[in-house]
Amino acid sequence: MSVRVVTLRLASMLVLVASAAAVHAQGLPSEPIALAGGRVTVGGDVSATVGSPDPGFFNYTDYEHSALRLVRIDVAAAAKAGPHFSLLGEVRSENLDTLEAYALYGRIRPWTGRDFDIQVGRIPPTFGAFGRRAYANDNPLIGYPLAYQYITSLRPDALPASADELLQKRSLGWLVRYSVGAPGVDRGVPLVSAFRWDTGVQVHAGAGIFSAAAAVTAGTVSNPRFSDDNSGRQFAGRLEARPVPGLIAGASFARGRFVSDAAVRSALGDGAPNEEFTQTAWGADAEYSHGYYLVRFESILSAWRVPTIRTPTIDEPLRALSTSLEGRYKIVPGLYAAARVEHLGFSDLVGSTSTLPWDAPVTRVEVGTGYSIQRNLLLKFSYQHNTRDGGVLQRVENLGAGQLVFWF
Amino acid sequence: MNLTRTQREQRTQRERTVPGLTLLLSFVSFVTFVSSVPAARNGVIRGRVEVRRVMPQVERRPGVTDLGAPPSRDVDDRMRSVVYLESAPRRAFEVDEGGRAVMDQRNETFVPHLLAIMTGTTVDFPNSDKFYHNVFSLSKPARFDLGRYSAGHSRSIRFDRPGIVRVFCDIHSHMSAFILVFSHPYFAVTDSQGRYHIDNVPPGNYGVIAWNEGNASEAKAVVVPDGGAAELDFALR
Repeated sequence: MSVRVVTLRLASMLVLVASAAAVHAQGLPSEPIALAGGRVTVGGDVSATVGSPDPGFFNYTDYEHSALRLVRIDVAAAAKAGPHFSLLGEVRSENLDTLEAYALYGRIRPWTGRDFDIQVGRIPPTFGAFGRRAYANDNPLIGYPLAYQYITSLRPDALPASADELLQKRSLGWLVRYSVGAPGVDRGVPLVSAFRWDTGVQVHAGAGIFSAAAAVTAGTVSNPRFSDDNSGRQFAGRLEARPVPGLIAGASFARGRFVSDAAVRSALGDGAPNEEFTQTAWGADAEYSHGYYLVRFESILSAWRVPTIRTPTIDEPLRALSTSLEGRYKIVPGLYAAARVEHLGFSDLVGSTSTLPWDAPVTRVEVGTGYSIQRNLLLKFSYQHNTRDGGVLQRVENLGAGQLVFWF
Repeated sequence: MNLTRTQREQRTQRERTVPGLTLLLSFVSFVTFVSSVPAARNGVIRGRVEVRRVMPQVERRPGVTDLGAPPSRDVDDRMRSVVYLESAPRRAFEVDEGGRAVMDQRNETFVPHLLAIMTGTTVDFPNSDKFYHNVFSLSKPARFDLGRYSAGHSRSIRFDRPGIVRVFCDIHSHMSAFILVFSHPYFAVTDSQGRYHIDNVPPGNYGVIAWNEGNASEAKAVVVPDGGAAELDFALR
């Protein structure tokens, strides 16, 4: 990390603390900014994270960004144009780089008396639970769940020629190159991306204890896209139930074309069909809270089908299963403790000389604490124990991190 | 003629120095004199608080991650103010009511939005919504977290230190309220027209302050007459 980047991060943290102190001194509440008589609201979430070096790339979201060394600024806005239509958007900057439009969509509510909405544009994730609360003030710890952050060695635009080539890339998903498709190095994909939203149409309805959502989008859950790269659409659905207060149980499904047309052409030639090279994902999640504790569980199974051109071929779907259990307990007002235990495993792949999981399985235990300096200024510390079963990188890493979060 | 306590003590002291019958006669005459002084009658401070600044509602944070529009909710009554004596009569601090008050959680709103109580008061926070709420405060006079609880349940907290307590819900960030805790009983919350009246104020000179949503006026001087009423209006910008 360059001196400039470190300086920028420290400066950001100081600005953050100073701003928060100023807010505190003025006694201003932590409220969103309301404009035009409340028709436009603007909120924000700023976090600065400083953590241990991560040579094993356990927490990287791509080659340059680690979730444990990140300054993230989110600014979200909602504009209401009457009872039937709202425009919502969010811009984000990581490490003070360029601003990216993370979300931008219109929300249509055809009948004001019914819990039924249509959302069009760059829409929030339909699949899973964590994707919609991947904000620093919603996450009791600092690290992200493996399913949403850990970069596997799969790429949608570049393909291994054989099973052997894929096995050689175990643990190298943060920067991987393959012999078929796009020639350069780039990152792989997580099971479900928490760092980009997909583009399409989403329908949501609720009745009683149930709510459901379905969406058709350009990308897949692991590779959300603004513009499609394979002319295939993803269908995603989610059913959620709230049978008793405090309990939320959800099930999700998504299926869409994963591999880009260009990569398929490189592998199989012009005119080769692309329909079968998909990502299919199933998810189950539950949250229960009462009194001072909160427990969350989420499990995601993803299966990718990719073409290969040489033996040993990859005939079976490449599966990955992630399981995460997270808990939070409030010890005293303003102070909590939290922990997450999770595992990310991969299906076996038969190579020329060995049969191994197609990527190196990872286990992570993270414990942490958070202290509210004031209502909207949170200081977090966490400790991670990461283990990786295989691959060429460091297999065990113990990491510490601190994070300051300010939101309004 | 009214005698101060010091004057009465001085007179009593002098009378102790005279012996025998003189002492007895003097004592009888003193008691007769004291009993003939009419007791001071409490008065009232009343008036109106005009909040002149625009009081926008606390909006929800932009629900960009929501799969649909959020349900409608009630809005806070942020125009109400509290009027209180800057310094209270000495005897006010002998009062220890230890009463109860209620701040409901209804349709994602604290009701009332502004509560004024005395130290020693226990406030109940019932949940009248169908979903969880989590009342908490990080204010210095009362730092508490009541945890998550469902509809039909209530939890309470006793306020023993005077000051301003900001109350929030940990689940619904747009929910907020104020509890002003006083160590004396001389305060009042304005009604929907901004009117207030502080009853049972002993006659005397006082400074009076009006407070609304974190903004306090300068103290205004007022003289409460014996058994009468003092009028005092405020304009908060």
